[in-house]
Amino acid sequence: MRETYGRLLPEMRLGDLAGKLIVIEGTDGAGRSTQIDLLKPWLEELGHAVVDTGMTRSPLAGDGIRRAKEGNNLGRVTQALFYATDFVDRLENEIVPALRAGFIVLTDRYIYSLMARAIVRGMDPRWIRSIYSVALKPDAVFYLRLGIDQLLPRVVFSRGFDYWESGMDLYPGHDMFDSFCSYQAALLTEFDRLSAEFNFQRVDAAADARTVCALLQQNILQLLERDSRKDFMSRLYNDSTTAPRPADAALFAVAAPAAAPSTNGNGNGNGHHHHAAHPGR
Amino acid sequence: MEIGSGVRIGPFEVFAPLQPAVSMVRHYGEHHFPGRLIVVEGIDGSGKSTQLSLLHKWLESKGYGVVFSEWNSSPLVKDTTKHGKKKKLLTPATFSLIHSTDFADRTERSILPLLKAGAVVLCDRYIYTAFARDVARGMDRDWVRELYGFAVKPAVAFYFRVPLETAIHRLLDGRDGFKFYEAGMDLNLAGDSVESFRMFQGRILSEYERMISEFGLTVVDATLPIEVQQAQVRQIVKAHLDKAKELRVKA
Repeated sequence: MRETYGRLLPEMRLGDLAGKLIVIEGTDGAGRSTQIDLLKPWLEELGHAVVDTGMTRSPLAGDGIRRAKEGNNLGRVTQALFYATDFVDRLENEIVPALRAGFIVLTDRYIYSLMARAIVRGMDPRWIRSIYSVALKPDAVFYLRLGIDQLLPRVVFSRGFDYWESGMDLYPGHDMFDSFCSYQAALLTEFDRLSAEFNFQRVDAAADARTVCALLQQNILQLLERDSRKDFMSRLYNDSTTAPRPADAALFAVAAPAAAPSTNGNGNGNGHHHHAAHPGR
Repeated sequence: MEIGSGVRIGPFEVFAPLQPAVSMVRHYGEHHFPGRLIVVEGIDGSGKSTQLSLLHKWLESKGYGVVFSEWNSSPLVKDTTKHGKKKKLLTPATFSLIHSTDFADRTERSILPLLKAGAVVLCDRYIYTAFARDVARGMDRDWVRELYGFAVKPAVAFYFRVPLETAIHRLLDGRDGFKFYEAGMDLNLAGDSVESFRMFQGRILSEYERMISEFGLTVVDATLPIEVQQAQVRQIVKAHLDKAKELRVKA
């Protein structure tokens, strides 16, 4: 059965989360969203319904975080908690319902990025871990790792220095370049530590996108093979006691068609989430 | 710098240690700043805001630098909370988190710098409100306490204790019902907002009762005449300010 990292949110049932939760982690510029844009249509062609999600996409807190970041006066603790709000909103209203409906959830970053950012900003690791103890343990975490030398040109030469990506809130007085290097190096160190602790599958993100994708596909196929959806389906049909409740059946009916548009169009790849798995909204 | 047996958990040295879950008394961050933090707590209708406002006027008249901070008032966060409430997007968990975000912003932006500057900071509701409400909504008691581990410990936390029925009479005198989240309607305790309010606030009251000893809250009998309560409040606050003469600014 699926587990959390220690604590359970009210009314969160873990017994029937049949879908798969696949996390793509990595620092800025590691190519996470490119990979999700490649993986999603591929999984859908294989017949899996897919929901993709990522930071600040919650209906509750996404806009608030964007507004707060515009001002450059977002404090460190406030920032950590605002992101936690965004995460838990998506966990409860998007990720869990999608898993319950048997979807594959592809998430662009997960609690690890949020923990790394907070820890680099001086929060106690135990504090931030305690907050995210309510998160679900994923089925796989792919860590797209890129060294600082490779990361710098990818980020900076494509879109320039960004205040937050450069950790300017952390190193006031530095110029953007120095700050970027210090901040991203600190993040990499923290990611490498988390990688060992949480069993990330490391992928060399310096390779070209197709090569990285082939590697991810191979690993995901193994994951789907190991604990196949057929198991779940056969349980549904053979044992009436585990048959889906009407609410879940309805959710599935609502959710399934919404996955369709992206099946034929993989061009809208910028990772905008579908509202398919938002039964409450 | 570490404070007491504490571990640094935020970027500021005043931030609190995480206590093991078994600990009976929690030591939130003791600060060594010249300012004084005074908070009022209690259910809606306990009269705490009235008392705080009278205290505010008195402190100002005495020449102190006084600043007031209200629950749920961060300029960065309150629109998100409002949006969540209006659209009924909030679950017990996100209700808890968005309020902690608001509190974090007020702590970082105003409460801490003001205490450093030597102000008397008055808070209408503090972390105990979050503990009471969030646990009443089913959140894990320890999780919520750890969430607010960055909070500064107040010099005095007054708890205005009032029987539920008295509070309901005071509140209903002048309006027809209660707001959705205020009455805990998100918990589906009862269809009627007054009945739901009664059940929800009942849970909150019992959380406050358990926190009196856990956090050393100063209990004020909120059924006493306003003037009597205010005299008690001023006497207790005065004792804390006597040790902090340097706070006094020229009126």
